[in-house]
Amino acid sequence: MTRRTFWRFVLPSAVVMVVLMVIPLGTTVWLSLNKVLLRSLDTVEWVGFSNYTETLSDPDFWSAVWFTTIFVAVTVPAQMGLGLGYALLLDRVKRGRAFYLASLLLPFIVTPVVATIIYKDLFERGGLFTWFIESFTGEPFAITDGNVKVMIIAQAIWRVTPFAMITMFAGIQTLPEERMEAAAIDGAGFFGSLWHVIIPHLRTIIVFVGLISVMDAYRVFDSVFVFAGNRFESAQTLQVYNFNVALDANIGRVGKGNAIAILTVIGIFVVLIPFLRQSYREQIEERG
Amino acid sequence: MSVGKEPTRLGRVGVHGALIFLVLFSSLPFIWAVAQSTKLTRDAVSREPVLWGWELTSNAYNGFWFDGKEENMWGVLLFLLGTATVAIVVAALGRRAEKGAPYYVAVVVILGFAMWLFPRFFDTATEYEFFVNSIIVTVLTVIISISIGLVAGYALARYTGITGVVILIAALAFRALPRTAFVLPYFQIAQSIGILDSRLAIVMALVAVNQPFTIWMLRSFFMEVPKSLEEAAYVDGANTFTAFRKVIAPIMWPGVIATALFTFLLAYNEYLFVRVLAPTNWTLPVAIVSLTGGESSRTITEAAAASVSITLPIVIVIMLFQKHLVKGLGAGAVKG
Repeated sequence: MTRRTFWRFVLPSAVVMVVLMVIPLGTTVWLSLNKVLLRSLDTVEWVGFSNYTETLSDPDFWSAVWFTTIFVAVTVPAQMGLGLGYALLLDRVKRGRAFYLASLLLPFIVTPVVATIIYKDLFERGGLFTWFIESFTGEPFAITDGNVKVMIIAQAIWRVTPFAMITMFAGIQTLPEERMEAAAIDGAGFFGSLWHVIIPHLRTIIVFVGLISVMDAYRVFDSVFVFAGNRFESAQTLQVYNFNVALDANIGRVGKGNAIAILTVIGIFVVLIPFLRQSYREQIEERG
Repeated sequence: MSVGKEPTRLGRVGVHGALIFLVLFSSLPFIWAVAQSTKLTRDAVSREPVLWGWELTSNAYNGFWFDGKEENMWGVLLFLLGTATVAIVVAALGRRAEKGAPYYVAVVVILGFAMWLFPRFFDTATEYEFFVNSIIVTVLTVIISISIGLVAGYALARYTGITGVVILIAALAFRALPRTAFVLPYFQIAQSIGILDSRLAIVMALVAVNQPFTIWMLRSFFMEVPKSLEEAAYVDGANTFTAFRKVIAPIMWPGVIATALFTFLLAYNEYLFVRVLAPTNWTLPVAIVSLTGGESSRTITEAAAASVSITLPIVIVIMLFQKHLVKGLGAGAVKG
């Protein structure tokens, strides 16, 4: 394919990405250096880096960084371990596989805010789990500052595990039968073949799922917003904190909000750059 | 393949038992929501949950969709059933014929006509407008994303220059960016050009943030199409564009459907962009969250009914195209 044709094919997509991603990102950087309030968006006052220094000395920011880190560190490994387990079980059945697959996918495909609302409903007054917990402990149960983080994390694992499951399941389907038979002949048990055959085969998929999951967990918004909103300030992730600062109806500090957004972007890129370099090299090699 | 030795009978029972447990674990909140949505408010909030034998009522659905006005439920049900049947029959025909486009267009036209007809027969609440918004935003986002992503994905799969690699890696980096890095500029731009609170603003935002994923996924499908196919077409005197349109695009249906499914989920489920870019002209997710904001117990059953209603279209679409979803993730993950 010639360079000319390439550009002709890529142009619409490239224009969309430049106009609607690169330019807005630049605007975000510029606005983060200014004082802008939501009620008067036209009044822009240059303040240099003071939005950044203010954010970095805000305890709420650090509490959000902390909770986001815990959120990623717990949900991603849990999701991948459980996802592999689901996929292995699913691989062992023939009858009813379509039914199991569809039902297990449910938490992942349903609108995140809806999945959170109905999950939260279990723990509200009259909810099924509230009643369970109350009959066990004999004490009234309510969502509090203390337990809301646990619930948010548990809900996230419940919601995203199907994604790991379905990708790993798809990967297991491409594993040649002979490799498993060879392992069985060598006397490998279930865990032996899991460790020596299945996991190495799924290596690229595990990296892929891990990468996507870290990205998505890091920028989680919907479910945490519905769960904690501005009710439980200690259980805010970076995105929720950012939203509350920038779009609060009373104050709406757009400048500071953009500074938080840029700090968030820097945070993900620190983690991501090795992977991006790796992918870059792979693509160059693949090109031949 | 099947991992491990041929399972014994006991082993098989164990596997099915574990899966059934997991299915319950996954779907319990949904089952509970369906139950709650058919209860009277006093049963839904009672301290000891009402587990069976409650008085069935459609109050919650009536409240959400018709502002609680008395409606002829049978009429509504018949209408929904009729539309669903027609759509399913057409979709089934399309699957058998493996022809693609004309059948999907027919389904969209039928559903669109039914949606237009509905409020002319029944006195609907504002939530119905939000539902229509949801559908329009989703359909437009899918069509635009896929159209521009398809040509770009093809070029990125075939072109060997360094620019292609740079675009791919840049797209991967954009895939990682959080919504908040874009949403405030979008808000400002939309306000200054006067498209704030319009479906257009939401569609543009969604197409943009979805583009990196779309081109990566479609490219991974194009990578599997052997080059010899279009080379044969070149021999016959076709140029790149004709070869793409006549030879390559027609065999891409599985990839297009898989990518479209993910785009559908992204657009239909979006909360943050709609919340910011459409202060009043909501889609369903924002409407549902606004229901749960207050502490009034009247809305508990209504929120459950709303949740069930918004979930139903997703479940139907995924059930119809489940096969493509698994294939799509397999291709995207193994190759990408």
